[in-house]
Amino acid sequence: MTAGSDLIERATLIAPNSVYPPWINRFGRWICWVGGLILFGWMCHNLDLRLDVLARGFTKLGVLTKAMFPPFANGGELRIVQSLLDTFAMAVSGTVLGIIVALPLGIIGAKTVIRNPVIHFAVRRTLDILRGVPVLVWALVMISAFGLGPIAGVIALALADFPHLSKQFAEAIENSDTRPSQGILASGGNRIEAMRLGLLPQVVPVMASQSLYTLESNFRNAAILGVVGAGGIGFELEERIRIFAFDQVAWIVVAYVLSVTLLDWLSSQVRARLV
Amino acid sequence: MSKSVDPTTNSDRSSWRLEQIVDHFEAERSRNLRRGRLQQLFQILVVTLLLGGAFQASGLFSSYLGDGALGRIGNFLSRLLPQLHHDRLFEDRATSGSLLYWFYDLDLWLKLLAETVQIAIVATVLGAIFALPLSFLAARNLAPAVWVYWTVRRISELVRTLPDIILALILVAAFGLGPIPGVIALTLGTTASLTKLFAEANEAADMHQLEAVQSAGGNWWQQLRFGLMPQVLPNLASYSLLRLEINVGGAAALGIVGAGGIGVELSRAITFTEFDTYFAVLIMIVGLIFVLDLTSEAIRDRLTGLEKGA
Repeated sequence: MTAGSDLIERATLIAPNSVYPPWINRFGRWICWVGGLILFGWMCHNLDLRLDVLARGFTKLGVLTKAMFPPFANGGELRIVQSLLDTFAMAVSGTVLGIIVALPLGIIGAKTVIRNPVIHFAVRRTLDILRGVPVLVWALVMISAFGLGPIAGVIALALADFPHLSKQFAEAIENSDTRPSQGILASGGNRIEAMRLGLLPQVVPVMASQSLYTLESNFRNAAILGVVGAGGIGFELEERIRIFAFDQVAWIVVAYVLSVTLLDWLSSQVRARLV
Repeated sequence: MSKSVDPTTNSDRSSWRLEQIVDHFEAERSRNLRRGRLQQLFQILVVTLLLGGAFQASGLFSSYLGDGALGRIGNFLSRLLPQLHHDRLFEDRATSGSLLYWFYDLDLWLKLLAETVQIAIVATVLGAIFALPLSFLAARNLAPAVWVYWTVRRISELVRTLPDIILALILVAAFGLGPIPGVIALTLGTTASLTKLFAEANEAADMHQLEAVQSAGGNWWQQLRFGLMPQVLPNLASYSLLRLEINVGGAAALGIVGAGGIGVELSRAITFTEFDTYFAVLIMIVGLIFVLDLTSEAIRDRLTGLEKGA
């Protein structure tokens, strides 16, 4: 005990503020904690996040979860697999459309290609703004424009993807080494050749890897688009939830999780070979 | 590939004449090229089939849009835009053609927007609180046993494969319409993703500092508090802010399935084909997310700067 207090005394001599922080710091920290806690409590109150409501909800959730076991497809296995494939098709088409739109925008958005700062700024900021729109929000608009069906989902996916992809493509181009292109220009190549032989070999693997990553996330996104009427697995799921057939819901969720895992694994294998 | 045909590396080939070496090289090279081309052809074939099938299944090929598709899109876009009159722009909401007539339910939308932000904040805070202890279990250098590490990681991966919307859909069935299922769905997703990110930050931490606390007599809790936390806290805060940005977008979309927030209004506007209202709400959402992104990015830059400075 005495040794301990001795140590503390010596430490206080060396660095008084770290042993006993000044009261203003301690007080400030305390105020922050209490203020944050009050703010958080106020928000919970606003959202009606009360214990009795939660308890009731979780009890009901327990009943629903019990109804999920054992998962049972009720003869709809083929239909569910078919709709999973449809969802995948939507994801692929959406990704490809997104890539097609993003390629020119990525090139324009790259600082190293278009040196005009006004264009660069305008493109980047517009993309930043568009990136804020959730895919489901696009889907609602597209469904009212194109009617129910996967085509609306595909266009919504592409719209939600191209701002992300453009930004990533632009960054890939900016991060590439300019010396190969300079070498080609110096040895008599024109700008097209410099791009084809100096730039593309560097950026294509990066872009392909990012596109695959987008495909993965699009498979998840495509699944939720069905909920608002773009077909696919989300539609099947929503239908089963609406009629409280939770054993079928569980079957669909398991099938979906397995296919997501499979796709992620395949894509990561390909990406590992690319980069 | 070129290494295997390099004749100088093989001592028994050193006696070859130059023509032989060149012949050998050429043969090998053309074989390689042929094989590469075949492989490429095969890959292109597979990708083409995949794309063709995907386009076919998602209706990109079929004349689904019918006649005058462009006209219909144009028509739709024009319905999305409000009818504003430049001379009546700043009149009250009863005058058609004014800005307030377009944003006719501004008070309600602002309230719902605030609710969206609150859903996102509460879910992020709860998610971060749950993720913090889980991240110790999911970090290879801190987990008490391998099976704990493995289990926590797999469960967090499993939850991450389920989109928030699907979780919310199931939770709405249990909790009823309102913000609560939204909060829970986002909290689940946030917990799972932050557990992974936090765990990776923990794994990158310098273990010597924990050992120093241990050798000074600190227990497990003190090691984490004084050895680990000061190292990883800026990172954790930065990840949480990033997740907050994502959650605001997520909370805005959750309303579409009835889980509270501004999305409810979006879904209502579409149901009643009030496309100009939809556009107005969309502008508010995008503006909110844009401002939030900028703020959070500035804070995150400062946080990671702090970490580098320390």
